[in-house]
Amino acid sequence: MKRRFPVRMALGTAVVLACSPATEPNSNALELPNGNRPLAIYVVNHPLQYFAERIGAQQVSVSFPAPGDVDPAHWSPEPETIAAYQKADRILLNGAGYARWTERATLPRSRCVDTAATFRERWIPVEDDVTHRHGPTGEHAHGRFASNTWLDPTLAARQVGAVAQALSDARPGDASTFETRSQELQQALSELDVRLAAATLPIGHTPLLFSHPVYHYLIRRYDLNAVSLHWEPDEAPSDHDWNALEKLLETHPARWLIWEAAPLDAVATRLRTLGIESVVFDPSGNASETGDFMTVMGQNAAALERIAADAGRG
Amino acid sequence: MSGPLYLAWRYLAHHRIKTGILVASITLIAFLPIGLNVLVKQSAAELTARAASTPLLIGAKGSRLELTLNSLYFETEPPESMPYAEANRIAASGLADAIPLQIRFRARNHPIVGTTLEYFDFRGLRPASGRAMAVLGECVVGHRAARDLGVAPGDTLVSSPETIFDLAGSYPLEMKVVGVLAPVHGPDDDAIFVDIRTAWILQGLGHGHQDLSARGAEATVLSREEGRVTANAAVVEYNVITTENLESFHFHGDVDDYPVTAVIAVPHNARSRALLMGRYGGTDQTVQIFRPDQVMADLLGTILSIQQYVVAAMLGVSVATLAMATLVFWLSLRLRRREIETLFKIGGARSSVSALLASEVALVLLLGLTLAGGLTLIVQRFGAAAIRAVLLT
Repeated sequence: MKRRFPVRMALGTAVVLACSPATEPNSNALELPNGNRPLAIYVVNHPLQYFAERIGAQQVSVSFPAPGDVDPAHWSPEPETIAAYQKADRILLNGAGYARWTERATLPRSRCVDTAATFRERWIPVEDDVTHRHGPTGEHAHGRFASNTWLDPTLAARQVGAVAQALSDARPGDASTFETRSQELQQALSELDVRLAAATLPIGHTPLLFSHPVYHYLIRRYDLNAVSLHWEPDEAPSDHDWNALEKLLETHPARWLIWEAAPLDAVATRLRTLGIESVVFDPSGNASETGDFMTVMGQNAAALERIAADAGRG
Repeated sequence: MSGPLYLAWRYLAHHRIKTGILVASITLIAFLPIGLNVLVKQSAAELTARAASTPLLIGAKGSRLELTLNSLYFETEPPESMPYAEANRIAASGLADAIPLQIRFRARNHPIVGTTLEYFDFRGLRPASGRAMAVLGECVVGHRAARDLGVAPGDTLVSSPETIFDLAGSYPLEMKVVGVLAPVHGPDDDAIFVDIRTAWILQGLGHGHQDLSARGAEATVLSREEGRVTANAAVVEYNVITTENLESFHFHGDVDDYPVTAVIAVPHNARSRALLMGRYGGTDQTVQIFRPDQVMADLLGTILSIQQYVVAAMLGVSVATLAMATLVFWLSLRLRRREIETLFKIGGARSSVSALLASEVALVLLLGLTLAGGLTLIVQRFGAAAIRAVLLT
């Protein structure tokens, strides 16, 4: 049975819900003034959560059940969590092979929306994918793509369009509202793109290091001269890693290492002895404590502007 | 019991064989046309209802009847398959929702239906216990199948190999039962439902194996070059999907090329239906689209025409049987002339003797018609299932 709330109580509840982490489905708890219940939207990462909440506002209830301390790209939900996904009005997938658990889960295909499907030709194949051969099926690779597509703001804007379309398909009566909000968000992403382009212009082909190979779309968009390591921010690299870095620096004399999160102090200090400064560019696959998606992207742009200023001085 | 009725009853009880033959004749005369009519009408209603609730069926070119019976009743041999891309093509057209079906394997004589969650919504299937399948290797079992197999959520089921001697074929997969469906009194009650990708794993198109880059896998690796690992046939492939090995399961090649036996298309409206059917109209098409209700109507038309001949023949037989019964009664009266005369001589009134004879006829008719009614009720209860079993096997 649907529960009806007085408007004031409903607004109060909405504020509480908006301030709480969106981890549990709550689509049946509220009813909109027009009698509709909010659309139950499930997503696979924080950027899509942000896009859906910005576009859908109070007309949607967005759930992103991944714990805050995991990378959603490599998260595997429990069957009970998948059962919750199955009940959603729409499931927003990032596409490009992001969140591989979705390939092994039973999800309602008619309600799944691949937000990167419209730019499939722009997906970046992962070059170090291992080809293997066994049994009668012959040689095969698992055909992986780089999947953090939103790090190219122009692609993120297309994902925003896909999210708006998905919400409009589910609730045609609100399509014009969704479209207006989508255009506002796309405008904000366009401004972010301009800012990142301005920040990376002085960097030019200055050698850069990235701590992990998750920045393919950023690197391609802004034509960065980057090499990716396999270093974790919360782990001390091994001697082998340090030796490999020193060898790499001979051919790729980078002065900046861009991390997914702040590295250990000892690591940052040792890097400094090699003439390498550390900055954080949070891919924002999961929610950040420092702010929402656009806030974090603003911080990321500021980090690149620091590098740009240094490159300008150099 | 009044005198004539009692005497009639005693007479019939004494001449059991003659009475039995008469009652059996009357029973058959009444039952055969009525029972057959009930049987055909009921079967027609049931077969038509499931076909009518399936708007459009798409499958590889071939026998439409076989495709319909496989897709709707899961009974016939699997028809030719077509690429999964057809399901995507229909969904991408925006004209209809597409529900793929891959019905090829069985587990202890129960069909394993590989499909998507949309099938459950489409057929109105709801778990009575447990939940829908959530990951590869899980299955949901129909009500009757669960009862026959003695399984409940938490149990496991092993798929049957396609052929016992096909050593190079697909291996049986141990599936985890996660739900049992509420009864719907149809073919879905007998089926075992899995994700369509689990059906492809059953077919050997997807698999999970040990990590070839992990420690301990050296014995299975023939060569390891830059970005290329070649394993020998000893690589361990999993025949049960667990939480631990789930991530190792993968599919080779383009999933669009993977096989499906049929796709149920649910058009959004009549116009969408017409447009969709038009798209498959070309003679160069390797797939066909059709309305299953029309296929079933053709089948039922054949059955009904056969029924008309059978009923006509039965009416002839009934007339002959009725004439025979009348003759038996008439001859019986001739044989009993002395007995009737004795009744008159001991003071029996003409009306009483007439009542006695009429009671005998009435009792025979009553017994015969009662038995015919009982048989008709049995046919009404079990006939549809019986004829479906006969038709589909």
